[in-house]
Amino acid sequence: MAALWKTCHQCLRYGLSHKSFYPSVSAINVISKRNFKPRWVAPTLREIKRRKDVEDDRNGGPKIFHRSTFLEWNYDAEIFAFSNRLGEKFNEATLRTALTHKSYVERETARLSDIGVDSYLQIQNNEELAVAGGALISKFTNGYLRAVFTRVPEELIMAMHDFLTSTSNLEIVGKHIGLGDLMLCSDFPCESETYVKSLKAVVAALAESSGEERARIFVQDLVVTQLYGLDINELWNPADPVGNLTDILKREGKAEPEFRLIKHSGQNSVLAVYYVGVYSDKNFIAEGAGESLEIAKEMAAREALKQLFHTEDSMKALPFGRQLKNIQSKIVQLENQPNLPLSKWISEKVTSAVH
Amino acid sequence: MSNKHLFLPSGFIRTPLQNGLGRYIPQLQRITLKFCKNHGGSRGVRDFIETDLMEFAKTNPGTVVYLKPRRHRYPCMVAEYLNGEREYLSCHEFSRAEIQKWLSYMCTRSGIPVMRFRKYNHTDYPSIQGVWNPFTHQAPEINVAQFPHEILSKPVDNGPTATDQLIEIFKKTQIKDPVKPEH
Repeated sequence: MAALWKTCHQCLRYGLSHKSFYPSVSAINVISKRNFKPRWVAPTLREIKRRKDVEDDRNGGPKIFHRSTFLEWNYDAEIFAFSNRLGEKFNEATLRTALTHKSYVERETARLSDIGVDSYLQIQNNEELAVAGGALISKFTNGYLRAVFTRVPEELIMAMHDFLTSTSNLEIVGKHIGLGDLMLCSDFPCESETYVKSLKAVVAALAESSGEERARIFVQDLVVTQLYGLDINELWNPADPVGNLTDILKREGKAEPEFRLIKHSGQNSVLAVYYVGVYSDKNFIAEGAGESLEIAKEMAAREALKQLFHTEDSMKALPFGRQLKNIQSKIVQLENQPNLPLSKWISEKVTSAVH
Repeated sequence: MSNKHLFLPSGFIRTPLQNGLGRYIPQLQRITLKFCKNHGGSRGVRDFIETDLMEFAKTNPGTVVYLKPRRHRYPCMVAEYLNGEREYLSCHEFSRAEIQKWLSYMCTRSGIPVMRFRKYNHTDYPSIQGVWNPFTHQAPEINVAQFPHEILSKPVDNGPTATDQLIEIFKKTQIKDPVKPEH
């Protein structure tokens, strides 16, 4: 083994600093060979790589270490940088609590008792903060969605809310604000639930330190922006769009929707297309295309619903960041005031968005 | 000829966590400067640390700066980004100004690995016109046209026949008599 180490060292030294074996030649036409390596270098490196691969296979992947095990690690400085990076003012004790998990406290207590120190650790964990933060994120998200999508039924609002507060979405946000290295927890690599819990606790800690207003803006800036670039109509899948449209028209005192075939092409082929329009009281509402009459009818009904809810494909881009300044008070009002549910939806009862 | 481009990943322009849509978060979370206290190769790094490091740390409070002196090794900087990427740069024999430039480069990067852009513009937004079908953008005159139609019933690629072309060529070769002015 020692011999191999020596060879490795020689090898590395050759790879890094060795320039040329040959004395410099003054002839003009000779191009000196750079990075010349003796014949034993490549096979040796190959052998080292093979042994490393075998070791990795045996351990199930290369070994990973938590960033805090590195020599250059200063948790105080990291905490300071974390709040500055986000541009928020945290109460430091609360932020530290928000980043401390129950599993970490348990592990530390066990470790101390193992070495014979039976002292009660004065470390608070983030369980309570996480619960409070979860409620805050949910409330702020709902407020934003209801203020921006004023004409949308509560079912679609809930679908968007569920997407934004889902574990996968909150995990991405938590990872990208640098929680991965800062969380104190016993699981490594950290589980998604740990990221989500930390993010929720951080929101609660922010609300506690700088007030709910800052926490609201924080959630709008980091969580709600994940809605950008999504087709929101795909988040909610109405089971019976034709039935929904019929109910709405009936409630508004209009005639039942009438589906008429406008154009069709390529019947009895795999590329058939039917183009169907929806009419009510002989007034055109919407049109949709599909590969069969049934699908085209459903697509037309969906288009009609999109037009009623103002969520067409060509709808205006969502407001974010500074654009929300003027509707912030409206968002606060709507946090606990649900939109009309689909079963009571009438276009006279809903107002158009102001943004 | 360099074959470097063969190994350069390609992709579309993107940003981590829709950064800047709500607020801008500097993506460089920590940077480590490793240098030797004696060797000449680390001269620029040492100069930078003596003169500009405090200023750098003050202007970038969101970045943790670590200094790691190590004996008789080449200096380098290791940048760690919020998306988990790590960038290593050897600073051997860099001057103070060069260190400053590379640090500002590291600070302003998003951490997404350098790649060849397939296009210089990109949108995540879904289509605003919906799924295409053969009737998308069809001229509305077809709705009221009576079939068989003089133009619409004809094949689209109905060019002149070979006979037509020959007649056309023949006509072109005919020499016209000059028109006599009337007096």
